[in-house]
Amino acid sequence: MTSLKTAAASREAPDHLGFSFTGRALEYFGIWIVNLLLSIITLGIYTAWAKVRRLRYFYGNTWLDGHNFEYHARPVKILIGRIIVVALLVAYNLLVSISPIFGLLIILYLLAFPWLLNKSMAFNARMTSYRNVRLNFRGSYWGAFLAFVIMPIVALLTAGLLFPLASKLSNDYIGRHLGYGSARFETRAPLKALYGNLGATILFVIMVTLVCAGIGFLVGSSLVTAGNMMQGGGDELLDVLTFGPVTGALIGGYIALALAYLFYAAGVRNIAYNHTVLDGQHHLTSSVNRMRYVWILVSNLFATILSLGLLRPWAAIRTWRYLVSSTGLLAAGPLDHFVDEAAPEGNVGAAEFFDIEGIDFGL
Amino acid sequence: MIDGRYFPPGSSRAVAASLAGGPGRLALKREDEPQAQAVVLMSVSDPLAGVPRKLTFADGGVFEAPLEADVDGFLNMGGSFFARLTRLEANLGLVAAAAVVTIGLVFAIYRFGIPLLASGAAAITPPPIVAAMDRGTLETVDRVVFSPSELDEGRKQELQAMFDELAGFADDAGPALKLQLRRGGAIGANALALPGGTIVVTDELVALAASDDEIAGVIAHEIGHVRERHSLQQIYRVLGIGFMVGLIGGDASQLVDDVVTQASALQTLVYSREFETHADLYSVALMARAGRDPLAFVDLLDRIVRAAGGSDETGWLATHPGTKDRREAVRKRVKELGEAGETARN
Repeated sequence: MTSLKTAAASREAPDHLGFSFTGRALEYFGIWIVNLLLSIITLGIYTAWAKVRRLRYFYGNTWLDGHNFEYHARPVKILIGRIIVVALLVAYNLLVSISPIFGLLIILYLLAFPWLLNKSMAFNARMTSYRNVRLNFRGSYWGAFLAFVIMPIVALLTAGLLFPLASKLSNDYIGRHLGYGSARFETRAPLKALYGNLGATILFVIMVTLVCAGIGFLVGSSLVTAGNMMQGGGDELLDVLTFGPVTGALIGGYIALALAYLFYAAGVRNIAYNHTVLDGQHHLTSSVNRMRYVWILVSNLFATILSLGLLRPWAAIRTWRYLVSSTGLLAAGPLDHFVDEAAPEGNVGAAEFFDIEGIDFGL
Repeated sequence: MIDGRYFPPGSSRAVAASLAGGPGRLALKREDEPQAQAVVLMSVSDPLAGVPRKLTFADGGVFEAPLEADVDGFLNMGGSFFARLTRLEANLGLVAAAAVVTIGLVFAIYRFGIPLLASGAAAITPPPIVAAMDRGTLETVDRVVFSPSELDEGRKQELQAMFDELAGFADDAGPALKLQLRRGGAIGANALALPGGTIVVTDELVALAASDDEIAGVIAHEIGHVRERHSLQQIYRVLGIGFMVGLIGGDASQLVDDVVTQASALQTLVYSREFETHADLYSVALMARAGRDPLAFVDLLDRIVRAAGGSDETGWLATHPGTKDRREAVRKRVKELGEAGETARN
């Protein structure tokens, strides 16, 4: 009887559940501006409360299968973590300006990095829940050391040829050590797809470089021509004539590289998510369009700058909504069999360190 | 009574349930159980737009109220800070007012708050730390750019005597002033002031000067940087701006962060120009006190700029004000001092 039921259930096609986001830009603007005002008035102390409120808004309005996510961190703990991190950073900067020898502390930092990373991931995972069950993260020092310290260096030394391998190791590492209650995630990003993504990124760079460099060249030359017509000739103008377009083209190339990173990261996200399984049966899916993702971030940047920051809430909502709506779960059955378990809390100081230093992992 | 759903302790299984009673005597009725059970409330999630409230019980069970339920009214705990905050965040008029106040505050902090705090912090930085910074910086620049001065002993003594004379006319408050002569190498004709009172003058600058008054003017300018604690203020201002950017861009993406960081680097240049102008004015006053020509160093600056192939317009990216602007400002200052002197004599 029981076996018959199981057989019937497994024959059913898995349910494709989409993630959705119900946050609205105007609503978030109110939250954002009040957060900002209170943060300024309290000389930064409220930032801890602001962070919790912001993340609660984004998580809480993110839905899957009729249930939302929750962010649980307590602001006081975050405040303490922040104070410790800021004190350490100030002390480090003071020491370095006293004597460059203290720059050697960077070695200590590299050695502590895997530990910090694991504790930070554990904290952020532990503070996130879905359907009353929390995520958890149990990293290993040497695994993190390989994926996040050694591999990036190796990738740079090989002129980027091993970037896909570095992406595989870091994403597999995160996926493998992440858990949802007592169930585990497992990520096995295929190298072949990651190299395909690198190839697409190189094509993208060539294309954008040509466009950006071309625009830079035209802007540079037209400025020179305009200058020429207004002031007549001269030796100095000859210098500008040769360097204006070159500078323009160089700036264009630099922009192309910055965009390439976004393009590449979006591709890695798709590959990693599409090869991540929860509890051996539920498959994550991701279908971020790389070009569209780059476009969203670039147009957000311009909107934010041109509005002197006032469109920042709109931009944040727009990015989050796009990423969330590009994510799904192929559920093999109902998601009500998960149970929570006691898991390590992680370290709020480590989490705040990555937050303040702006170190980001994946999308 | 609130109809919602209930998660048993540590489980992802949601059960339709309702919560009845009131504060202190809550009763939970699960749809799949015949009897209501008494529950003890541990915590309630703060209200926030679009997010259903969750009530956590002592045993770890969680009751999720629907979005429209009046949880605060039911629990008799209206008027909490976050309940009021949520109403404020949803009120467009108040939000607009908050936006105006915030923009005003950000501008005021940036324009007045940070410079004020920086000069305060610079004034209370312990002298041993400042002295250590001097040693560290001098060590680095000696290794990277400078080599020992090749001026002859007699010239060195003349310069030292002139330096001592100027230092004697400078106000005493602050670190002791020390002259260091070096061969500039890559940076050529230049002079720099370290926060702890060390002033470095390069051989190339001495060679380029047409008179001692020109060198004295530059030294007086550097003394101005030391006495008004410009380097320290600069460090603290950069820190302050970094802090403010972090505050505003708390949720900013990498891209926004990068651009804003570049923009604040540009801003430190604007600050530097303000400091240069102040040091110029200090130089004029000090040179007048020492009975030397306060205008002389502008001619030297002209020559340095020409030697380096720069333009004399104030460029947006230039750290130092263009010499044209500078000469005007210095001349104006000399005139003011002259008038003040005459008024005093009359």
